[in-house]
Amino acid sequence: MLKFNRKLILSMSTAAALALLTAGCMGASTSITHATTEANGKATIDGGSTYPVVNDKTGPYYVDPQVAADAPKINNGRVPTANEIAAWNTDIMPDGTGLPEGSGTADEGSDIYDAKCVACHGDFGSGGGGYPSLSKGNAYDLQKTLTNNRWKDPEADGPVREFGSYWPKATTLFWYIKDAMPHPFTKSLSDDQVYALVAYILNVNEMKIDGIDVDDDYVLNREKLLKIKMPNRNGFEPNIDGPQALDDVRAFYADAANFGAQKIKKGATPCMKNCQAPTAIVVHIKGAGISNFLPPMSDARNLPAEKKVAVNPASVYKNTCEMCHGNGVGPALGNKAEWAPYLAHGMKKVYANAIHGTDGGMPAKGGSSLSDADFKTVVDYLINGK
Amino acid sequence: MDNKKSNQEIDRRDFFKKAAASVTAIAGTSLISSNARADDPAIMKHVPWGQTWGDPVTKNRYGVPSKYEHNVLRRNTKLLASGNFRASIAVTPLQESMGIITPNGLFFSRSHGGTAHIDPAEYRLMIHGLIEKPIVLTLEELKRYPSVSRIHFIECPANGGQEWRGPQFNSLQFAKGFMASAQWTGTYLKTILADLGVKKEALWMLAEGSDSSEMGRTIPIDKVWDDAMIVWGQNGEALRPEQGYPVRIVLPGWEGNLCVKWLKRLEFAAAPWYAKEETAKYTDLKPTGKAIQHFYANEVNSTVTSPSPEIDWTSLKDGDIVEIQGLAWSGMGTITGVDLSFDGGRNYVKAYLKGLVLPKSWTRWAYMYTYKKGKELLLTSRATDDAGYIQPTIDQEVSVMGVEAVYHRNAVETWEVTKTGKVNHVEIRTMKKVKDA
Repeated sequence: MLKFNRKLILSMSTAAALALLTAGCMGASTSITHATTEANGKATIDGGSTYPVVNDKTGPYYVDPQVAADAPKINNGRVPTANEIAAWNTDIMPDGTGLPEGSGTADEGSDIYDAKCVACHGDFGSGGGGYPSLSKGNAYDLQKTLTNNRWKDPEADGPVREFGSYWPKATTLFWYIKDAMPHPFTKSLSDDQVYALVAYILNVNEMKIDGIDVDDDYVLNREKLLKIKMPNRNGFEPNIDGPQALDDVRAFYADAANFGAQKIKKGATPCMKNCQAPTAIVVHIKGAGISNFLPPMSDARNLPAEKKVAVNPASVYKNTCEMCHGNGVGPALGNKAEWAPYLAHGMKKVYANAIHGTDGGMPAKGGSSLSDADFKTVVDYLINGK
Repeated sequence: MDNKKSNQEIDRRDFFKKAAASVTAIAGTSLISSNARADDPAIMKHVPWGQTWGDPVTKNRYGVPSKYEHNVLRRNTKLLASGNFRASIAVTPLQESMGIITPNGLFFSRSHGGTAHIDPAEYRLMIHGLIEKPIVLTLEELKRYPSVSRIHFIECPANGGQEWRGPQFNSLQFAKGFMASAQWTGTYLKTILADLGVKKEALWMLAEGSDSSEMGRTIPIDKVWDDAMIVWGQNGEALRPEQGYPVRIVLPGWEGNLCVKWLKRLEFAAAPWYAKEETAKYTDLKPTGKAIQHFYANEVNSTVTSPSPEIDWTSLKDGDIVEIQGLAWSGMGTITGVDLSFDGGRNYVKAYLKGLVLPKSWTRWAYMYTYKKGKELLLTSRATDDAGYIQPTIDQEVSVMGVEAVYHRNAVETWEVTKTGKVNHVEIRTMKKVKDA
């Protein structure tokens, strides 16, 4: 593998250098060496650029040639035990790899569904609560809606992308329920329970297995699940199955028209005049659009609204007031005799002096940053001693 | 005269504008000191922070933004609130974003079962399947592999996906903020694999997370041998929990969903897995009824970030020279250029790239503009990349993809600037079925 990898890197650089020679620089950014084909001349897997290592750089980044050009075989780990691999290797593939034995009926599934799923997914998988629906009716009929597009009328019937009408493989459903459901308590269902739930979801999607309706007492098991032919099994592109899959993917992304992309010829100037269709108009947001943002949108740089924090007058006294009031400077905590002459002026005056400070040496709010209302509670504490 | 106004009026740009306008204007905005106007209290008075102690260095052992920046936040909407915000997304405030890096606390957050909090002592990465030597690594062992640091954006392919049938969000944060950018530190996956002997029948790799949704995706082997990274660092510190702490996979330029977080397992196989997030979701339904599966790269894209619906031009004065600024990015390569239109993409002028121009990275661009008060504008940006792609018009894109695709929408985006300088999100398009282009 290492040998293959090294070869790949070398020939990629050659391809890149060649591309640079023939095509010259492109646009403003330029000195970055890239290729849109791989070493064997095949297109890249995603239709994009790659940056093979050239002169110890990949694109603009320097790489350590000790690692990039002659990758050392580093192994920092250990071999997992068979049990460890089994514990984590819980995925389920379309050919049945990983799919456990077990069974359950749609009826049993209905009970589990009502106990564990209905709160989020709604009655009979109808959706609600922000969670996906699991069925909108007959899977075979609804598969035909997939060509619907709401070009003009948002109220028109759109495509129905439910498990029954859209998903290409039934194993996906078993795998997801087993690993990721119920949402707040995942990995808590037994294999039999999952079979029962899959049977129930097949039932509400009005699906058949081998021409037989999955009705209430249909017993779903491993063998039957693997026989399910999903109505939309041929509804996806590019092909990803079989030994030629990656070539099929490369071919798909080599043609921009397949995925709605636009290309311009190398060195060509893009359209600069009259680049919109004459029929194009300015379309505004209808009404307020979607605007229930959390928290509400704002770019204000004011101070945040003060959070109401319960003030503990005793601890404010300890930290702020005691150094004077506890040392004979100013009336002492809870000392009625000492407070009497001040109180004779009325509480309004006492509060005002406390808040604004006095020439006699009382600092405003004792130097604290409490609100007026909060500081009044500290004053009350100082007077009453509690 | 309030503070703000007086600050604006002593602005140099303002002087030049008024100098050209009239003699009285010159007298009113002269650069020569005079006492003809009220003094600015922000200058004339001692400020509280100038006369008292500031915080000791012992405060905020891990620093936090100024309390005045409290509105710069990730935001969410009830529209995308599945699972009590645990199969949901909170998006990045691009209107406040600077440069090509997103602060870690503002990086958009998307999960399928909530943000997992992993004990690093119990972290394990297992690699197995069609390889000669399966391996299990602790976090410490993983971090001993030679490291690389790369700046890449990560974008949810549903960025802009609510707006195939028309604009919905009068907001840059929500129209384009399903993405963010960071310098990622980790090791190339191929560096780990060098010793493990990946078998030649292995065409696909499953990457699986350890969160409650066990999020998994199938990745083609090409990406594994190209630039796939196993990442533990984000902008110079450990990954944030929302980004998959302690370890995620980063596939530069590819769908955020493929960059599996809380990574626990990589398995090699000859056939793909058909995981839920590559069948039920993250597939692009076309009007033909066929849906694109395994749509990997986020295509070339761009947006104007200043002005934005959030931070508009209502405070600008006639003649102000202002920088129109934006971001361009491509998951398929390096940005080669950006053009800017003032009439909704009918006619373009060349805009200018700024700063670092890196592969599969956000790229800043700008254009200096003299603002004309009362003039309506339709600001549209359009980017190109070194793989040869250019952003399509909306009509071009929907002629192939229809309006039900949800994902991978990269047509040009338009901000309408009204007479008063308000900014609205609009789309320039033909509102009917578009015949094949």
